[in-house]
Amino acid sequence: MDDTASLETLRADVRAWLAANAPHGWREAEQTHAEFAASQKAWFLKLVEGGFAIPHWPAEWPGGGRSLAEQKVIYEELARADTPRLLLSFVSTYHAASTFFECATPEQKAHYLPRILQGEIWCQGFSEPNAGSDLAALKTRAVREVRDGREVYVVSGQKIWSTMAQYADQCLLLVRTSSEGAKQAGITFLLMDMKSKGVDVRPINQIQGDQEYCEMFLDEVEVPVENRVGEEGKGWAVAQATLSSERGLTLMELAYRMRGAGGRIAELIRKAGKENDPGTLAEFGAIMTRVESACAIADRFIENRLKGEERVGDASIVKLTYSRVLQDFALLGLRLGGLDEQVRAPIVFGDLNTGNWMADYMNSYAWTIAGGSDEVQRNIIAERMLEMGREPKNWVL
Amino acid sequence: MIELSELQDAAQKAFPADTLAPARDASWQLIAEMGWLMIDLPEDLGGLGLGRDATTMLHVEMGRVLSRAPLATALITQRALALSETLADKAGWLERTSTGTFVTINYDRRRITLDGRTVSGTLPAVPDADMASHVLLCTDGLIALVPLDAASVTVRERPLWDETRRLFDVTLADHAIDPALVVAEGAAADAIAATLREDMLLGIAADAIGGAAAALDATVDYLKTRRQFDRPLALFQALKHRCADLKTRIVAADALLWARAADPAATSVQFGALKALACEVFRFTTQEMIQLHGGIGLTEEHSAHLFMKRAMLDFWLAGGADVLNEAAGRAALAA
Repeated sequence: MDDTASLETLRADVRAWLAANAPHGWREAEQTHAEFAASQKAWFLKLVEGGFAIPHWPAEWPGGGRSLAEQKVIYEELARADTPRLLLSFVSTYHAASTFFECATPEQKAHYLPRILQGEIWCQGFSEPNAGSDLAALKTRAVREVRDGREVYVVSGQKIWSTMAQYADQCLLLVRTSSEGAKQAGITFLLMDMKSKGVDVRPINQIQGDQEYCEMFLDEVEVPVENRVGEEGKGWAVAQATLSSERGLTLMELAYRMRGAGGRIAELIRKAGKENDPGTLAEFGAIMTRVESACAIADRFIENRLKGEERVGDASIVKLTYSRVLQDFALLGLRLGGLDEQVRAPIVFGDLNTGNWMADYMNSYAWTIAGGSDEVQRNIIAERMLEMGREPKNWVL
Repeated sequence: MIELSELQDAAQKAFPADTLAPARDASWQLIAEMGWLMIDLPEDLGGLGLGRDATTMLHVEMGRVLSRAPLATALITQRALALSETLADKAGWLERTSTGTFVTINYDRRRITLDGRTVSGTLPAVPDADMASHVLLCTDGLIALVPLDAASVTVRERPLWDETRRLFDVTLADHAIDPALVVAEGAAADAIAATLREDMLLGIAADAIGGAAAALDATVDYLKTRRQFDRPLALFQALKHRCADLKTRIVAADALLWARAADPAATSVQFGALKALACEVFRFTTQEMIQLHGGIGLTEEHSAHLFMKRAMLDFWLAGGADVLNEAAGRAALAA
């Protein structure tokens, strides 16, 4: 039912619901990390109640079963209403959920999925200090043992870049159960309770003063064998399901939000009295046109998915377009703001395009580095779209 | 209803990628035979009425092969004739322009004075005036056809760096407009002029996207073929990443091109901003094309310079990026 009329009805419904329920003044209300987490949780639960939190889940879930076209409408309206982005629940509703839907046992699904809607927070324990872009090089070890009469994996190692892990209840964990054969082959996928003994989470202080990511130290953490997803040694395939969860809508939402933030640059231009300066206006016009192209490429990506025409590398182009424009957008704000922007001002946790231009600039690296760095995206585009050939393996220096 | 992909296939068969800058007059004849001169004309006026999607597709394909034939210009002037409510023998004009008679128009700001219906001055940057029967004079409150063979009209070619296109100055000396050739006057003329400007900007943007895509294709092919240090250049990450960036910029500009082509509410400022983006992407792609081809790229033997010179002309035709982006910035400031 994706005809224009029904989509417009949905749009009107979402808009009306947001008019009554969207939080106001949330940026000002989030002065501490605790307030940020509380505000995020409250907004997520409200969206669950409104039926707009998990439009991408299957239809048997309340608020689920929405087509991609419908999801697009919902995210467009969320961006338009300038609601808080769902940062804290993102890994739960996307990464964890898509892992469960695609790879989990019925028991695991029945246990974990309803809890996500009650606000249970998931984080991801994938990257390690020496396994970043080369994720399959991960070394966190899991040994199967019987302890206190039950079969467990005993996990030791270090994880890093776990988004919002300091608030997480559960963790999607990749561990090495074997060092034999190809490095992808010895990887196993576990579900770890963050309250388990031996889990030590330390938030990472980012350069802009936020703490969106954590390090995780695991010291003989016991994970019951029934918390394994997929077979032992087949975790790499499960991880692909986790990572393949929808990114297009997120990027579309973010690009739309950047378009909405164009007014922040306009404010700066007025403040500086440069409303008639041709050079400034040209730069503003050029960056806003690039923002428009980032919106257009995200829209096209979703349309192609709707038509089943997604090609390898398309997602990389969308992400690379967004990340480059995001950084340049912040840089233009910084230049127009001048010396004043070097005075440290309060940040909005987890948010982009806030008008605190130094913070926005620093946070833009989250998109040029996290989730597959620009360099990884360029490799994918060059090697898989342009077919320029893979880097020769086994370098010896 | 012809599918866009069918149109694209037909265009690529008629103008294969391996024949760059095919001869103008033969191309023009082929364009007329393919029916592309009636593609935009509304059905009730005897055309196919396929709209901006279809013309954009053709302009992208013509950009890809560095076409010498003035298809975009022909469709722009034909639209003016189709929108006319005053032109005598309008049906005859539409019939002729959809079968090969060419009417041209200036791509730079006119430098003319109007005294009643007597015009003096110069229309600069007029494509292919040598093969046109008339130029479409667009000035405040008046659009009219001017026959290029009139005694009061002088046509002078200005040789270009871009070898794939030809531009002329058309100078009028006390030229009296023929009442039968008035296309529009007053507010109607201004409305048509605005539409023509949108078409012009969109057409150049499409040309630039096609040219950029072809330039990148050729560059990647070259890097796959050329070997140094016992490996194809394509395997060097330093070069791969530059190609990936070009691909990304071209695809993003292409997405905006199609979004604008499909948007009936798009403003001429938005078309201008698109044109600025697309032409900067084309210009930069050709800069990289020459650099990545190394020595061969700076010889006339290789086609890289044809792309670069066309990109430069596209960049400046109908307004450079500074002017167009400034207008976009002003609009965004007012939003």
